Amino acid sequence: MKTPPEDHDLIRWLDEEMTPAERTSFEARLEADPTLKAEAEEMRQLSLSVRSHLPKEMPVPHPDFFNSQIQVRIQQMDLEERRAAARPAAAGSILSSLWMRLLAPVAAVAMLAAGWLALRTSSATGSVVVSVYTPDPKVQATTVENTEAHATVLLLEGLDAMPAEKNVAGLSVHHAETDAQLATTTLFDGAGQVLLVMGKDARNQPLIFSHGTPRG
Amino acid sequence: MRIQAPVTLSLLFAAWCCGVLPTAAQTTTAPPTTAAGKSAATDGKVWGALVYAVTDKSKLTGAVEKAPDLIPDLTDRLAKAFPFTDFEILGQHTQDVFREYESWVVPSPELFLKVDSKGPAEGGGLNLHLQFWRQQTVLVKTDTILRTGSPLFIRGPKWRDGQLIFVLALKSVGGK
Repeated sequence: MKTPPEDHDLIRWLDEEMTPAERTSFEARLEADPTLKAEAEEMRQLSLSVRSHLPKEMPVPHPDFFNSQIQVRIQQMDLEERRAAARPAAAGSILSSLWMRLLAPVAAVAMLAAGWLALRTSSATGSVVVSVYTPDPKVQATTVENTEAHATVLLLEGLDAMPAEKNVAGLSVHHAETDAQLATTTLFDGAGQVLLVMGKDARNQPLIFSHGTPRG
Repeated sequence: MRIQAPVTLSLLFAAWCCGVLPTAAQTTTAPPTTAAGKSAATDGKVWGALVYAVTDKSKLTGAVEKAPDLIPDLTDRLAKAFPFTDFEILGQHTQDVFREYESWVVPSPELFLKVDSKGPAEGGGLNLHLQFWRQQTVLVKTDTILRTGSPLFIRGPKWRDGQLIFVLALKSVGGK
């Protein structure tokens, strides 16, 4: 019977992760154990078959966006690390300084005031565009906080105009039903009639099947 | 009936005809379900609209959609953000934001949003990953914190004598 360490060894042997000495030893065991040898051969064939049917490299969809998101995350992590590193040092310097001890009550009041202001600002803050990416290099996106309209505006420059003869259909969606198993969303009007069904293809592109009367 | 992706969509249509996809009669009372057959958890609700903006009222299409109570002063706010005087809502859609599944906000088959929730935001609102699509083409992807009372206006493509604007507003946070 095959024991767990043998399982582990078998996987390492298949993945060619063994040292020459380990490999010689394991192959000697294979010669001594016909059952293990048969299983190893079967798994090796299966592994070769799987590898031959998979591409060595898979293209990342929208690599620019993928990279930009990684960069954002790295910057966030750096910032968090710097903040974490700064906290004990600052606390230590305050505690070690008599002057700072004397100033501590003043600092505490100032920090409370700053926190209160930050809280007020935070609760009053509107929507925020954190990051933006346009796959088409011709299209530029800029964000504007419009306080007068109390709205966040995302301006897309460089978009092709919608053809004038195109009838841009608007929908009045009463409710939607989502089927997670089929990954489809069905939109209904107020009379319970299906307006359209949203789905996705294998490339995650949206698919729309619509009927009804287009408006607009 | 309009077909946008012939091969795959014809399969979708065939599935619908065979009763695999939901129909109105089957689903009007059924809640969204997960693979396990349970109602899908939601993080909130959003309202999306496609707006047509012009500077000459006679150029409007005649659409009669009304702004919801959520943003009764939508026209005034749009006029403060864009150099247009007249606005009309071509289509609108209120949609649950699912916690574990993507949500689609489709006030028009021409311009629509894919919404992925990243959970509640610090200080209120929802962290959302948004994809703004023009049929089969994604125009912009953005991570946005959407807060109630503060809509996101996306200036889309020009159309005829004016501009198409997508409005996304947070209706409520939290859900089942």
